[in-house]
Amino acid sequence: MRRAFGSVLAVDDISLVARPGEVTALVGPNGAGKTTLLLMLATLLVPDHGTIRIEGFDPVTQPAEVRARIGWMPDGFGTWDALTVREVLHTIGAAYRMGPAEARARTEAVLELLHLGDLADRRARVLSRGQKQRLGLARALLHDPSVLLLDEPASGLDPRSRIELRDVLRTMAADGKTVLVSSHILTELQEVADRAVIVARGRTTQDQTLDATELATTVGTWRITSLDADRLRQWLGERHVPWRAELAAVVVQVGGEEQAARLLADLVADGIRVIAFAPSHGALEAAYLAATEDRQ
Amino acid sequence: MSLHGIRTVAALELRQRARTSRWPVVLLLWFLLVAGVTSLSYAALNNASVKAGPTLYDVTTFLVLGLSMLVVPSLTATSVNGDREAGVLATLQTTLLTPADIIVGKLVSSWVIALVFLAVSSPFLLWAWVAGGIGIGQVVGSLLVLAFVLAVTCAIGLAFSTLTARTVASAVLTYLAIATLVFGTVIVFLLSFFLVQSREQVRYYGIPDSFWAAQTKNDDGSISPDSVIPTVADCRHLTREETVIHTERIWWLLPMNPFVVVADAAPGRTAPGPTAYSGVQPMRAISIGARSARAGADGRERQECDFGGGGGPAALPPLQSGPIYPYGLVFYLALGAGATWLAIRRTRTPVTRLPNGTRIA
Ligand SMILES: Nc1ncnc2c1ncn2[C@@H]1O[C@H](COP(=O)(O)OP(=O)(O)OP(=O)(O)O)[C@@H](O)[C@H]1O
Ligand SMILES: [Mg+2]
Repeated sequence: MRRAFGSVLAVDDISLVARPGEVTALVGPNGAGKTTLLLMLATLLVPDHGTIRIEGFDPVTQPAEVRARIGWMPDGFGTWDALTVREVLHTIGAAYRMGPAEARARTEAVLELLHLGDLADRRARVLSRGQKQRLGLARALLHDPSVLLLDEPASGLDPRSRIELRDVLRTMAADGKTVLVSSHILTELQEVADRAVIVARGRTTQDQTLDATELATTVGTWRITSLDADRLRQWLGERHVPWRAELAAVVVQVGGEEQAARLLADLVADGIRVIAFAPSHGALEAAYLAATEDRQ
Repeated sequence: MSLHGIRTVAALELRQRARTSRWPVVLLLWFLLVAGVTSLSYAALNNASVKAGPTLYDVTTFLVLGLSMLVVPSLTATSVNGDREAGVLATLQTTLLTPADIIVGKLVSSWVIALVFLAVSSPFLLWAWVAGGIGIGQVVGSLLVLAFVLAVTCAIGLAFSTLTARTVASAVLTYLAIATLVFGTVIVFLLSFFLVQSREQVRYYGIPDSFWAAQTKNDDGSISPDSVIPTVADCRHLTREETVIHTERIWWLLPMNPFVVVADAAPGRTAPGPTAYSGVQPMRAISIGARSARAGADGRERQECDFGGGGGPAALPPLQSGPIYPYGLVFYLALGAGATWLAIRRTRTPVTRLPNGTRIA
C-alpha cells in the first residue's frame, strides 16, 4: 500500500498479512507510517495505491462490513470527558447497534477483563494516562471484534497492566482472532507476538517469524556475569571464544540455544561462579536494529 | 441513517453539553433579559384603551429571534471540527454509525437546546396572548416558524464546522453567514434600488400647480399664510413624473431574512393597526414593509386631497401582496437541507483528502 499526505510519503510500500489466531507485531521507528497504515485499515483513510482486505471486505468500498469486524484503538485519542467510563462504553455499545441490555452486559464483561471495575463511575476526564489507555482498549474490545488493530496499546501502562495486556492479546489470538499491534517495546512484543513486521520509512523491511525454533538456531549475543570476572575472561581466552567486555559483564557470540546451554554447563563445571547468563538482545531487537541501521 | 443511531449521537451530545456548560446560569440570564424587556414594554404600553398583546408579542419575538441568532450558531459552529480536534470523532466514525447518524444526531441535539431557550421565553409569548389582541393559534404557528428557522441556523453552523479544520475559522464563517442573512439581505435590497428605479408618470388626485400659481404672492414669492386654503372642490385627477422603485423585481431578497420570515408569519400583522398610542410593533412593520415591497410599484392613483375635515378620500394604505413567509420557508428548507447534506458528505470516511495540517488520530 501507499499513502501520501501532500508531499510527505507516509506509507510508501507496505504489504503485510495478519493471520487469524496470531498476534502480528508492527514495529518501526517514529514516523515510519505505522499509525497511517492502521488508519487505512480502520476505514478512515483511503490508500493512494494498493488494496486492503479484512476478512474479505474492502475498507474503501464496504466500510460498514469492515467496521463491524474490527476493533480499533488509536494511539492518541480523546474521550468524551464529561461521561463516566461506564457511560462511554454504553455509548459505544449503542453505536454498534447493541440493545441496552446487551451493551450493559458487554460493558461489565470488558470492565472486568481490563480491571476497570473500580473506575467505572469516574469521569473519563480525570483518568490517568494509563487508565485512559485501558479505556481505549475496552472501547476497542466492546463489540467483540474478530480483528483487533491496536496502536501502541502498551504506552503508559504500568508493569502489571502490561503483563495483563499481554495475556489479553494471547487469549484473543487463541480464540482465533486476528491481532495487529504496533509498539515500541520490543522485549514485550517478543513475548506476545507470533510474527513481527518491521517497517521503516514507509516500507516493509522485514517480515519475521518469532517462534522458538528460529530463536534456537540463530546466532545471538549472550551476556555473562560472574563473581570470578578475571577467571572467566581467562577461561574464554584459553578456549578462543571471542568476547567483549560490557561493564562488569562479558558478551559472547553463541550459535543458538543449544550451544549456549553447553557453554554454561562447561563454565559451571570448571568452577566459574556464573550469576547471570542471558541473551543480550532479543531476536526481534537484533532484527530491528539490523533493519533500521541506515537511519541517520 | 437510523433512528437508533441518531438517538445515540443526540443523547451523547446532550449529555456532554449538560455536564460541561453552565446552562442554568445562561438560561437564567436569558430569562431575565427577556423578562426585563417584556415587562418594560408592558408597563409602557398597558392602558385601558389599547390591548398590549400584539406589541408585547412583537417585542418578545423580535428580541428572542435576535438573541437566538447570536446564541444558536455557537451551538454547532465548532461541533464537528471540535470533536475532530478532541480526537473523539474518529471513534464514532469507526463504529456502525453512519455519517448521517452523526450529523443529524448533532443537529437534533443542538436544536433541542435552541428549543429550550425558546421554551424559557415562551411564558412571555403566552403573556402576550393573555394580554389580549392575538389568537393562541397564531402564537403557536409563528413559534413553529421560529423553531424551524433556528433548526436551519443550527444546520448552517454544522456545515461550516465540517468545512474548516480550525474551530475559530468555522465560528467566524458561521457568524458571517448569519450576518449575511440578517443584515446582508436588507443592505443589498436597499442598495439595489437604483437598479430598479425609473422616472414614470403617476396619477394623483390633488391640487394642481395652477391653483398655487393663481394665488397672490408676497414680495419674496412665497404664498401669504392667510391666503386661500384649497378645498376638495379644488382637487383634480392629474399626472406627474416621479421616481418609481420597482421593488417587485427584488423582493425575493427579503424572504431570505429570518426576521422577515418570522415577522410575516407572526400574528401581529392582522391585529388592529397601530396608532400613535399603541406603540412599537417591529414585526408588524417588517411584515407590512416586506409585503408592500413584493407588491411593488403602486399603480393606483395617489390620494392627496384629504384636508382634515375637508371630506376628500383618505390616503390609501400601502399596497399589500400575499404572504411572503412561505417563500422564506422554502428557501430555508433548501438551505437547511443543503447544509445538512454538505455536512454529511464532509464527514464520510474513509477520506481521500485531509485538510492541511490535520491528523485523524
Ligand atoms: N495528516 C498528515 N499530514 C501530513 N503528514 C502526515 C500526516 N499524518 C502523518 N504524516 C507523516 O507521515 C509519516 C508517518 O506518520 P505515522 O503517524 O504513520 O508514523 P508512526 O509510524 O505511527 O510513528 P510513531 O511511532 O511516532 O507513532 C510521518 O512523517 C508524519 O509526519
Ligand atoms: Mg504512531
